[in-house]
Amino acid sequence: MKNLNRYGYAFIAPFWIIFLIFNIYPVALTFYYSFTNYSGSGTAEVVGFANYQRLIADSYFVEAFFNTWKIWGVNFALQIVIALILAMIFSDARVKMKGLSFFRSIFYLPNLITVSSVALLFGILLDWQHGSLNMVLMNIGVISEPINWLNQPTTAQLSVSLILTWMWFGHSFIVVMAGVSGISTDFYEAALIDGANRWQTFTKITLPLLKPILLYIMITSLIGGLQLFDLPMLLTDGIGSPDGSLNTMVLYLYNQAFKYNNYGYAAAVAYGLFIITVIFSAIVFKSMYGNERKQARRV
Amino acid sequence: MKKVIGLMMSLVLLFGILAGCSNSESSGEAKGDKDVDLKVWSFTDELKKPITKFEEKNGVKIELTIVPIADYPTKLKPVLESGVGAPDVFTGEIAFLKQWVNAGYWENLSENPYNVNELADNYVPYVFDLGKDENGDVRALSWQTTPGGIYYKRSIAKEVLGTDDPDEIGEMLTSMDKVFEVSEKMKEKGYRMFPDEGSIRWFSQGDDPQAWVNEKDELKLTDQKIEFLDYAKKLREESYTALAPEWSPSWFEAMDKPIKVKENGDETETEVFSYVLPTWGLHSVLKTNVEDSVGDWAVTSGPSPYFWGGTWLGVYNKSENKELAYDFVKMMTQDDEFLTDWAKETGDVLSYLPVTNEIKGDFSDEFLGGQNNYQFFLEQAKSIEPGIVTKYDQQLDTFYGNAVQEYVDGKKSKDEAIAEFYKKAQNAYPELKVPKK
Repeated sequence: MKNLNRYGYAFIAPFWIIFLIFNIYPVALTFYYSFTNYSGSGTAEVVGFANYQRLIADSYFVEAFFNTWKIWGVNFALQIVIALILAMIFSDARVKMKGLSFFRSIFYLPNLITVSSVALLFGILLDWQHGSLNMVLMNIGVISEPINWLNQPTTAQLSVSLILTWMWFGHSFIVVMAGVSGISTDFYEAALIDGANRWQTFTKITLPLLKPILLYIMITSLIGGLQLFDLPMLLTDGIGSPDGSLNTMVLYLYNQAFKYNNYGYAAAVAYGLFIITVIFSAIVFKSMYGNERKQARRV
Repeated sequence: MKKVIGLMMSLVLLFGILAGCSNSESSGEAKGDKDVDLKVWSFTDELKKPITKFEEKNGVKIELTIVPIADYPTKLKPVLESGVGAPDVFTGEIAFLKQWVNAGYWENLSENPYNVNELADNYVPYVFDLGKDENGDVRALSWQTTPGGIYYKRSIAKEVLGTDDPDEIGEMLTSMDKVFEVSEKMKEKGYRMFPDEGSIRWFSQGDDPQAWVNEKDELKLTDQKIEFLDYAKKLREESYTALAPEWSPSWFEAMDKPIKVKENGDETETEVFSYVLPTWGLHSVLKTNVEDSVGDWAVTSGPSPYFWGGTWLGVYNKSENKELAYDFVKMMTQDDEFLTDWAKETGDVLSYLPVTNEIKGDFSDEFLGGQNNYQFFLEQAKSIEPGIVTKYDQQLDTFYGNAVQEYVDGKKSKDEAIAEFYKKAQNAYPELKVPKK
């Protein structure tokens, strides 16, 4: 009998071997590099905590941190609101919206386009002198001067947020819909009989029961959002212009490593990013579930 | 007896395995490389034709790997570091050339059996110098030279300046002040001198070309470069440009057609007079984007000589086939017959003087209204200062370009823009000594 246990290890070995070589080893190596002044070639010299000290005092990293949060925050708020409104409309028993699967695919489509194409597309749409957006806005008389969207910090960040929203609201919508359809119609029928209006039904029934789903969306979006890189990289000059407003944490890491050849410091940035992600995931998790546990204990 | 037989058997088995091992190893390598004698890595398809020629001539097989420029350094570096799957010959772009010649990936060509120093006089001086490492040893060679000029439209020149002769136009552009005079004339007739403010960055060195970073690792911002901030701002304020940033769709469009410019609440239609581009700008930018105005162009010199880009190539120092590898480099950079054909076919301006001296007399480009751009560029190449390229240039140029842009847009004052430039430079390169301001 005992022998049989060994086969188990043999079966999980392929995964573990690949996992160790391609995941654990680079992660450990990065950790080592974060204590060195490795420049990408030649030998690495151990410098202790110098990279981490620099990281804490680095105004560009702090700037990148807040940029990332601003861009992600606006995008997430919009995305979730749109997804919830759409879910309300499509799930409402009284409205009986048709064509759910059609709209679901339409909403999801932007997510299938590669980010580089999206960046190229919006680069042209948002062009200062000849962009379609400015032309439309000027023709209907909203603005008299063309706006240089990607050349001002606020509009550049907002542009990225909105592009991200456009790319991701369909995904959130699908997940929210899945959550909504998991809620028993009994609740809604009962609410209807009790004379609850739509808003009450939504805030008292749908939202509380969607909490786990919303938490899931939030954590995955947060982890993805903190790693925001491709759009800011491709929309402007790749080092965070204008005024460093599109300098996100991963973009900063990338530039430190591959453009400035400060691999050691970039490794420290990577670990800084990791710690931040862990902390915020924990906070989100706690704030969503912490209360419930307390209440449960009280009961 | 049994023991002995057993031992012998196992020894045979062991040898068999070992032999099998070494066999499969060598045959494995040979299999992978059997049809490939040489591996070449580059970031454009430029070498495709030369490789075919080299294959035919020598009866060998070459494998060319093309990696887009954005990924080229990041892909190539690990391969060179580890030596696994590494190329025998690889090219380097000016942007990272200085870093690579000093990294020791390229074979030292100043030593035996290459001794390329003997050929130094055969090359455009700045091109040959750029391939040298810190000790003055040559690591990479280039077949081309990439000096720049100002490409302009003859019809507009004739209308506004009364002549379309490149020499005469060049005389009108020998300093930035003169450039502004011409710009004003252009503006009066409804034309724009340049597509954008960045166009003049190549003249920012002025009459005092200095490296960004000197031997003591000190970052130097010369007065000329600071003055450039004002020049760029003046271009914007006086509406001398068409507000079409380099490589943007409108930048390309303005080459061939009138474009609309929106500023101060007005929309005006205008045409761009000139583009500041190097040798390759003619073949891979202008010719590929211009249809209507073919033949209406000419090239002349600006306030100061400059060069932009360029490709060097060398032999990987851990290559197992250095001889053949160097043969290829030799064909690309020293073979009279090949280079003559190459130049005539592509119009590429070569850095190998024995060939250029032969052929420069009878070049004329239809696109440029029959002008001999070859001779013009070779003249420009002579006056380029070689010693001012550093491995920091690409990033520092970007940082300074940003500073200029922010000053031009009115987002920062001059001092703020410069301070930000210093801060960025220090952040990217902690080893630099940056002036405290």
